[in-house]
Formats: sequence, structure tokens, C-alpha cells
Amino acid sequence: MTDKNPLIEINQLVKKFGSFTALNGVSLNVYPGEVHALLGDNGAGKSTLIKVLSGVHAATDGIIKVDGKEVHFKSPREASDAGIGTVYQDLALNALTSVTRNFFLGREIKKGPGAFGIMQMKEMNEITMREMKKIGINIANPEQPVGTMSGGQRQTLAIARAIYFGAKILILDEPTSALGQKQQMEVLKTVKRVKNLGNIAIILITHNEIHARLVADRFTFLSLGEVIGSGLSSELGGDDVKRLMAGGADIGDLAKELENVT
Amino acid sequence: MNSKSVNQPRKESDRHDAKRWYSAILARPEVGPVGVMLLLFGMLGYFSIPSGEFSLNPFSGEGFNALAIRNNLRVISQLGIVAMGAGLLIISGEFDLSIGSMIGFAGGVMAMILRWGFAVVIPYVSFEGGIHIETFTLFKITDVSPLLAVSITLCFTLFFGWLQGFIIVRSGLASFIVTLGGLFFLRGLTEIIYRAFNKRPDQTAGSTTVTEIPDIKNIVNVPGHGELEREVAKSLPQADLLELLKTIPETTVLKITEKLTYINESVAASKNLLLKNKGVKGLEKSLENALSSGNEGMVAILQDKIANFQVEITSPRIVSDVDIAKEYIDTLHSARPVANFFGGDIIEPVFDWLYFTVNWNVNNYGNQFADGLYSCLMIWFLLALICYVVLSKTQAGNWIYSTGGNLNAAKANGVPTNKVKVSLFMFSAFCATMFAACQVFETNTADTSKGNLKELEAIAAAVIGGVVLTGGFGTVVGIIVGAAIFGISKEAFFYIPYFDGSFYRVFLGIVLLASALANENIRKRVIGSV
Repeated sequence: MTDKNPLIEINQLVKKFGSFTALNGVSLNVYPGEVHALLGDNGAGKSTLIKVLSGVHAATDGIIKVDGKEVHFKSPREASDAGIGTVYQDLALNALTSVTRNFFLGREIKKGPGAFGIMQMKEMNEITMREMKKIGINIANPEQPVGTMSGGQRQTLAIARAIYFGAKILILDEPTSALGQKQQMEVLKTVKRVKNLGNIAIILITHNEIHARLVADRFTFLSLGEVIGSGLSSELGGDDVKRLMAGGADIGDLAKELENVT
Repeated sequence: MNSKSVNQPRKESDRHDAKRWYSAILARPEVGPVGVMLLLFGMLGYFSIPSGEFSLNPFSGEGFNALAIRNNLRVISQLGIVAMGAGLLIISGEFDLSIGSMIGFAGGVMAMILRWGFAVVIPYVSFEGGIHIETFTLFKITDVSPLLAVSITLCFTLFFGWLQGFIIVRSGLASFIVTLGGLFFLRGLTEIIYRAFNKRPDQTAGSTTVTEIPDIKNIVNVPGHGELEREVAKSLPQADLLELLKTIPETTVLKITEKLTYINESVAASKNLLLKNKGVKGLEKSLENALSSGNEGMVAILQDKIANFQVEITSPRIVSDVDIAKEYIDTLHSARPVANFFGGDIIEPVFDWLYFTVNWNVNNYGNQFADGLYSCLMIWFLLALICYVVLSKTQAGNWIYSTGGNLNAAKANGVPTNKVKVSLFMFSAFCATMFAACQVFETNTADTSKGNLKELEAIAAAVIGGVVLTGGFGTVVGIIVGAAIFGISKEAFFYIPYFDGSFYRVFLGIVLLASALANENIRKRVIGSV
């Protein structure tokens, strides 16, 4: 795997909010065609990290390189122009409008003056159908409201949208949370299909180590704003994952703690 | 293990029953409102049929004669204009309570500019002869054209629309409270402006009504006399009118003569019919009395009289040269197209055709009932057409829906949601200004209370038309239907005999509530939770 150049390199990233240090020197590399699972407990700094990567916050210190070039994002637009597509937990979808209208929201194909250009619905519908099919969902009617789709389908729509609009680095923020078993599998299948496209690097943020083990190639564990462990999927044992997930505490200690609760 | 083994695994989509054709129709947001609208039109038609007559066709009622159509459509389209602004704004997730005050403000500003002119005055503090405030007049235009008056008014109203929108998106305050402030502020400002400026130099306090605005839309270019109001031109001395007649081409004179002859004949025929009916009615009453008293001789005489009843036949008036000249002045085009655009009539040829050819647009006295439709209908139609294209076909439309449907999603996808909202607040102010322009140029007056409560009527019309108050859901067709329902119920209830006219408000209250419930249901249907 080391023969590839990382698509995104993060080196000693620091983010401070006033006196609070959210990230204290985080480093990680993500390679094309790989899923990099980012795990950690609540408050570990996962959300801050993706917000810095997607341009919502500016880093206090440290270096981010995309495709070998150093970048400093000032807005989400700049990050997405650089090829970082973030799929948030709420998916940024409008349930009341159609699949196509959501797919192209903010980037509509149009003819005419400025915002009053006429949308080319036919072309947009075709592209939506095609792109959704590429990563595994065959929608019958691109004019159906997003509200009628299942959670898994919505996740797929958001991912397809990010990829179509040039995301080389896809950040998935807890894509399997708040979904039923079957839909979680649907999403993981989608992640696998995107991985198989080969040219896209995926950062998968999750609480669920089972899901992470199913699709991830590399792991990075965060705790209190620092990396407490990382490695290839093949190198990590199940107990390591559990221990690191819990922020470095031994799982045996946790069991003991529980026993002491009366 | 107790599980079924099936050849075909059950898919997620199998859980949704295929939609039947009627449930597909019922999921359209416009269905309910269209039904109510048709009901109201039926009511208006049926109850406006004069008592004692019977007709299977409800549209033969007096609610549908030419004049009633003209008046009903005015009520509907004026409300429709402001409902369009209010509706689009609600779809984007905000709403505007200042529409009514904006109408009053715009009407006042426009009317006062037309009446008194427009000046930019800079006040400054003077120290000569004690400290006091003096004013310096930068420039003053006394004879402001209609276009300029509307443009200046738009500058003010669009500014206030922008300001309200700006405050709302910047502060994050609810639009309810900000525009409620706008409602009070603008109404108060309007009253102050009236008292301060709507007066002659020798008067101390201004009046709250602007009058004496010339009938601008009816200014015509009379050959040999220059620009004159139609009525003034028609009351020129006879000699002048006869002089004017000489400038009219022969063919036009013939056409006008033919027209006037038709009108005079129609008037005479109607008069004869009226007199005859009147006379026969008296005789029939006498006959009734004679029958009840058993005076057989009298009955025979009266029956004979009724059968051979004759009135003194009025013969049609002869078309005089002065009549032709006056009619010619009526046919001249307005010399002020902008004023005519807002306050004039439209499709007069159609209404002429209905009178001269179809013989339908005739009142009891044989004259033409309505000259045309009010031009606000056209303005409403144009606005609605533009809104329809923008909302359902353009990028801006998708932005409006997403701003109201899921604000964070829209922001995350790079939609300039603040710009969308501020633009729509300005559009709402624009619609209010159009409403005011239609009123001012049509009636040539304005007063401080104009547009009162229109903001709530506009919101109600939009909600009745299927717009959901929380945003993201609604259509232009729905808003049009909503305005039609609101406007027509105002009229229809007055035609129901023994019925208090105010029942229309009771009715509208129920319709509004039912619509809001139905809208919520349809919204859930669309997002699949029903």
C-alpha cells in the first residue's frame, strides 16, 4: 500500500478554540482506494477534525496537504473545490423536493442569466439516475421526493452527489448511525463500491467498530484531541480496537468499573 | 426456526402499495383548493340567479354578468398580487406582516408625488437670528411622470423590504416580530408623511386623503388641443368639437356612426321594453283585483287591454356630429401608457365584441355593461407567470424551496440562503407597491388606511392555496387558486338571500383551518410518512 502517494496528508494539526485545545497535533495519511476509519469516543476531536478538513474552521497550526500541495481553507467552498466532499450526518438533503433537485442543489445545470437560468431537468434526471446506479442504487423515478427514500438510499444519494461534484476525498460522518440493520449494510455496500472505484480516498467516522472492521483498511483512534493509535486493519486485533475505542482504557478495567457500580 | 423461505426476497419497495390513480391525484397540493373554488363559483352563480327564475346553468346568475365579472376579478387579482409575494416568501420559510402597511405607504408616497411633485430637501442648522433649522432644496420636480412616480416609490419600498430582510438574516430574529415592527413603523410613518406634506403651503396640517390627482390614465392627445383629460375634452365647446370632427378620417366617422346607431337602437329598444313591462305590471295587478272581486266585465276589459298593450314607442336618437366627436375622443389611446398600464382597462375589444356582436354585455338600459377588465388582472397574470417560471423551472426556484425546506442543507450546498430571503422580502415589497400603483392610478386617490389587514389576507390566501407556513412547500398555481377562493367568497356570500354577508369571514376561517390541516397531511404524504 505504501507505493501509493497519500491523497491527503495531515501533519501535526492543532486547533484551539480560545483556551480550549480541541486537536493537539493530529497526523494521518489517507490513500486513494482506501477506507480510513477514524474512531474515538465523544469529544475525542473527530468532529473538529472533519470541520477543519472541510473548511468550516481554519486550523490553528499544522499542515494539510492535498495531492502533495499545501492548502489553507477559508470556506467550505474552497475545501470542496480542492476535492474534499463531506457527507454530514444530516446529509444536507431537502426531504420535500425531488431526488434530482437535491442531487444538483446549489450546482444546477441551467441555461440563461444567473440564478434565473432555466434548469435542464431532463439532463439532470439522467445524470442523477446514472450516478446513483454507479454506486448501487437503481431509483425508479428521479422526480420522487427525497422524503420517500429510505435512510440508506439518502446516504447513497449524498455520497453520489459528493463524488459527482469532484470529491476525491470523501468524508463520511457517522453514516451508519440512526439506521436499521439492513440499511446499515446498504450503506456499507455503498462505501465498498466507492472504495472499489479506486481513485477516491474515504475517511469514515464512526462509533461502531464492527462496521469499521468490515470496510476499513486503516484505522486511526483519537482521544482527547490526540492520536492514541493507528494501523492497518490486518495489524489490529479485536481487543486493540475495543481498548482504543474506549480512549485507551483497558476493556478489563471497564468491566471492573461496571462491577463496582452498585 | 420459524421463518419463511421464499424464492423472491422481499424488497423494501414491496412494502409500498402501488399508488392508485386517485391517490396520485389527491397527493397534488392543489386538489382541495380547486374543489373549494369550484364550489364557491357554483354558489355565486346559483344564488345570484334572480328569485322566481330557474336555470339549470348556475353561470347564468347575476354574479356572472359582465360588470360582476369585472368587479370580482378586480378583488381577486388585487389580493392575488400581494398573495404572490407573501406566498413565495412563506415557501422560503419567512413571512411578512408589513405588506398592508407597505401598500398604504407606497400608495401615499405615489399619490403625493403625483399631486405635489418630488423634491430632495436637506435640512441644516442655521445660526443667523437664533439657532433654528433651515432647509435647502437640492432639486424639485413638480410635474412627475407616472413612471418616475412609481420608480421613486419603488426605491423607498424596496429599501424597506431589503432592510427588514437584512435585519432578519443578520440578527436571526423571527420574521414575525421584525415585520410586525415594520407593520407599525410603516403605518405610522405613512400617517406622519400625510400630515406633514399633503397640504397646500397656506395650510397648517395635511389631510389623510390625497385627492385632486388628475385622471392621468385618461389623458389623451386631442388634435388641435394638445393633451387633455377625456372628460375635459368631451366638454369642449360645440364649435371646437365640430372642428375636431373635420380632422377625423371618413372611414373612422362611418365606423363610429355605425357604432352609435347600434347603441341608440339598443337603448331605445330597452326603454320600450322597460315601459311596456311597467305598464303591463300595473294592468295585471288590476286584473288580479278584478278577478278576486268577481267583476267579470272588468276582467274582460283588462284582459283585452293587456293583450293589446301599446306604449308610445321611443324612436332611437339620431347620431349627431357632436356625439361622433365625443365618441372619437373616447376611442383615442391614452397618452400616459404607464398610468394606463396600472389603472386602465384591458381587453376592451373583447367586451366591445360581446356588446356589439354577441349582444350579451348589455345592461337594463341598453348600454354596454362593462368596458373591459381592470388592468390589475393583467399585472397579476404577468406576476404569476414570472413567479411560476422562477419557482418551478429555474435555479432560483430550487434555492427558494431548499431555503424553506431545509435551511442547513441549502447552506451546506452553497445556496446563498440569506440572499434568497432578502430578495424575497424585497419582492414582497415590490408586490405591495404594484398593488398600490393599481389602486392609485385607477381611483386617483389614496389614503392612510389603504391596505389595512391585507398582509393577513395575503397569508391566508397562500395557506388556503396549499402553502405550508413552516416553508418549503407550495406552488404558484396553489397561490393563484387561494387568492381566487378568498376573493370570490367575499362576493359569493353577499348574493345568498337572508344571509348576513359577514358569514364569508366565518366561512374563510373554517376553510383556512381545513386548508392548514390538509396541507400538513399532504406534506407528510409527500415525504412519505403517511
